[in-house]
Amino acid sequence: MAQYALVIDLNTCVGCHACATNCKEWNTQAAFGPLSDYDPYGREPSGVWYNRIMTYETGEFPNTQVFHLPKSCLHCQDAPCVPVCPTGATYKREQDGIVLVNYDDCIGCKLCSWSCPYGCREFDEADKVMKKCTLCIDRVYDESLPPEHRQPACVLTCPARARFFGDIEDPNSEVYKIIQERNGFVLFPDMGTNPANHYLPRIETKINLEEFEKHILKPDNPLFLEVMKRHHVSNKTPEQKQVEEVV
Amino acid sequence: MHPPLSLIFFFLTAGTSIGLFIFMYAIEFLQLFGKGQGLPKEVILKLGIIELLLIGAGAIGASFHLGHKLRAWKAIRRFRTSWLSREAVFSGAYGFTLLVYLVLNQLDANPFFEHFFGVLTFILGVLSGFSTAMIYASNKFVLEWNTSITVIYYLLMYLMLGSSLMAYFSYLYKLPYLGTFIFLTFLFLVLSFGFRLAFNIRQFYLKRPTMNEALNLPHNRPIRVIDTGSTTHNYCTEEFYYKKGKDMLSTVIPVAYLLTFVVPLFLVLYAWITGTHNQWILGLTYLFILVGSALERWSFFVEGNHVQNLFYGLYPEEGYKVRKGFMERKETKISLYG
Repeated sequence: MAQYALVIDLNTCVGCHACATNCKEWNTQAAFGPLSDYDPYGREPSGVWYNRIMTYETGEFPNTQVFHLPKSCLHCQDAPCVPVCPTGATYKREQDGIVLVNYDDCIGCKLCSWSCPYGCREFDEADKVMKKCTLCIDRVYDESLPPEHRQPACVLTCPARARFFGDIEDPNSEVYKIIQERNGFVLFPDMGTNPANHYLPRIETKINLEEFEKHILKPDNPLFLEVMKRHHVSNKTPEQKQVEEVV
Repeated sequence: MHPPLSLIFFFLTAGTSIGLFIFMYAIEFLQLFGKGQGLPKEVILKLGIIELLLIGAGAIGASFHLGHKLRAWKAIRRFRTSWLSREAVFSGAYGFTLLVYLVLNQLDANPFFEHFFGVLTFILGVLSGFSTAMIYASNKFVLEWNTSITVIYYLLMYLMLGSSLMAYFSYLYKLPYLGTFIFLTFLFLVLSFGFRLAFNIRQFYLKRPTMNEALNLPHNRPIRVIDTGSTTHNYCTEEFYYKKGKDMLSTVIPVAYLLTFVVPLFLVLYAWITGTHNQWILGLTYLFILVGSALERWSFFVEGNHVQNLFYGLYPEEGYKVRKGFMERKETKISLYG
């Protein structure tokens, strides 16, 4: 069975909030909108967001690292919010595994939000119904859009390309491969919810220039001559070029 | 958790209604087997009307925490999986069968049908209370509630409310069951007190998840929240973390214990031992239990800590044990330092 989900690369997420902002912009005007704002120009502006970005710091000073965690509905494969809904307004689609809320049936009892360990459901005080990420289902299946645009708004807007969208159950999909190759993990794995959205862990990349110089620019390196030839063409001395290459 | 006042109101009204009916019908039922003298018809009518009004008021009151009150009827759809749906069905059915029982009782109809509806109302009342308690007890993300103690003391408090009011009415209508109900009030007060204490003591031994578990990081890695993505509170921080309530909790819990259990226990024991039966003592016992129960319910909600608070750094940490062995079986490799 297909299971659409987001895969978020914590290694490249810069915490710019563009995904959250574009999510709000798209969904407040689209089929599942609006995402109400309360006191938007006042002292304490707040409102409904499908996607929120948390920022955490790990480690102890001075060896600390900051990472950003975009958190929207994880479209759990064993979604605990679905069975508790007394009206059946919350349901999980069989064809793609997306968890949705039928606003016409929602009575606003908030029990689904009590049953979500991730805090990914928000009550809209204006519409009096529970709202949550729809994985931009109105974009994903919109055939009037070009195929490359049939993705969630947050994925399209991410400037760091930290977000991926696809079927995590399909071994040929990009997201499936990314999860396998980069040890994708989920939030709260012990809660029995089996979330569909995955996160890619941070990997520290180290470039050691000393090692580079030692091995690549050694005269006995077969590539050394090629490097020298290239630089010989120009007017600069090979030494100058080598320095430029390294820099 | 933020305490919804309408649910506290529902607890008090439904609890009194169902508790009162359980004892009222128990007297009638025992009469079938030659035990006791039953109740006069006028008393059954009066008590029945009170029960009906209370469950009706409770249902209307409870709807105030819903976003769409007029759609509340739709809550019967997911009976198979949702405890809230079951509560709605059982409470509604309880009110309906109670009305039918009263009509049959007052019209001197066939006793078989009268008692059939009596037993049905009795069962539906218990199931209604059980379903309501299970809404909280089945929520595995609020560890304080996620225990059978929640259900047991919830039902015991229904019986406590019912027996204390029945003792008052026994005096008021000069029924021959006053001593019995004073004893039952004492019994259910003691039992509820015991289970409420167990509920509180259990919280100190809870094995709680940590922020590392929420974020799937190894346990030995210090972590703290820097930013939660918004400058003000949002639904999650207000619904699942009631700051004002948390600050008041250390004051409210002792007061709730005092009003719900300690003072009524003294009053009932005084009435029992000295034989001083008057409407003031019995009326005050019920009133204290009623006001105390409201505070007790308020505390019950505020005591609950939802695990989603971990993402906001609002979950209790100090004085609690970390789940042993967590992360040892994890295969996910996370490299933060290379």
